Amino acid sequence: MSRGSAVSEQTYFVLAALLDGPLHGHAILKRVADLSQDRIILAVGTLYGALDRLAANGVIVVEKEEIVNGRKRRYFRITDDGRGLVEAEARRMQQAAAVVTRRTLGATFT
Amino acid sequence: MSRLERRYRLLLRAYPGDYRADYGDELLDVLLTRAEADRVLPPAREAAALVVGGVRTRITEAAQGHAWVDGTHLAVTALSLVQVAVLIPYAGSIPLWVAIAGVAFLCVLRGWIRPALALSVLTAAKVTAITLGVQIFDPTLLPIFPDPPWQNTDALYMNGGPYAPATSSILLILGLMALAIRGEPLRHRSWWWLAAVPLVAGADPAWHDIVAGDPGAMLRVGLETALLCGAAYAGHLTGDARWALAAGVYALPCCAILVENLLYISRQEVAHGMLIVLLALIAAAVPYRARRRILL
Repeated sequence: MSRGSAVSEQTYFVLAALLDGPLHGHAILKRVADLSQDRIILAVGTLYGALDRLAANGVIVVEKEEIVNGRKRRYFRITDDGRGLVEAEARRMQQAAAVVTRRTLGATFT
Repeated sequence: MSRLERRYRLLLRAYPGDYRADYGDELLDVLLTRAEADRVLPPAREAAALVVGGVRTRITEAAQGHAWVDGTHLAVTALSLVQVAVLIPYAGSIPLWVAIAGVAFLCVLRGWIRPALALSVLTAAKVTAITLGVQIFDPTLLPIFPDPPWQNTDALYMNGGPYAPATSSILLILGLMALAIRGEPLRHRSWWWLAAVPLVAGADPAWHDIVAGDPGAMLRVGLETALLCGAAYAGHLTGDARWALAAGVYALPCCAILVENLLYISRQEVAHGMLIVLLALIAAAVPYRARRRILL
């Protein structure tokens, strides 16, 4: 991600992981690894720090809490603001990628 | 409880107590679910992330309330700590004034500003009188020599002039007055501040121990540098100016030492003074830069 971007690559994948519905912490870690083809493996401390900051910025919210094996488990849901943020970032990257692919793919097919 | 769980619980102590009470088990559940069956030591990456995450959470939680009120409280805590620590080696000669400065420091730590102000005014008056060679409140034999184990330290305020200690005292009193006028309840500062007292005790107010390369002075410079770097990091993380305010107030008496001793100053003293000023300026600049919206 560029320095001018509002979100880092890790944030982008965390938000992308939540696009299909609310997930708990462990499920987010697995989904981020799947979506990034194991390129991004978040540490638990890093993930929860990010989730706290995203929640504080209103980008995600806690959808529900449940107790599993006597331990609390929170499910996080992306908000409309968060969805707008990740979609804007995707468009920005698509536009940036097109600057290169237009030329290289164009050269391949001429 | 497995050894791995015990070690993760130990690492989770990096987080504030209330955060741990709310979410500690949740984090532990994810950490243990991800761990291989035969693992007994947390992976270094997970361990580092927990420590960094805990420190970041503590800093974020500390950035609550009015920034200038908390920043001023932080600044007067540091100034009060230096005031009592400088006097400690002379407790045998001036026990009353060391006790008064000590109680003032404890009052500042607990957020009891009015008693801290009264006691700090008394201490400041006595310290200023000592630097000027004047008798005030009680007869004091001057110069004041240190007690063991500081017998190699110079007499109290023998080096440097009266302006730098006076600057420190004035800033301390003005800060306490501002907090007293504001009248807002203050947080209790951590008891860990007391751990800094032995490190700062015996420090020469005019930095001559730094010129001599005294190991204790080097330790103090290391602590000072670490705290100022911490102030810059906290400002970077939160975009909050409270730590910058405290760092700036702390740097002012250091500037006074440089100016007051300009004619006799050594390279080490200039380097030390410039380091403090530079770190205070960095601490002041980073909160503005950090206000750009970076989420992760």
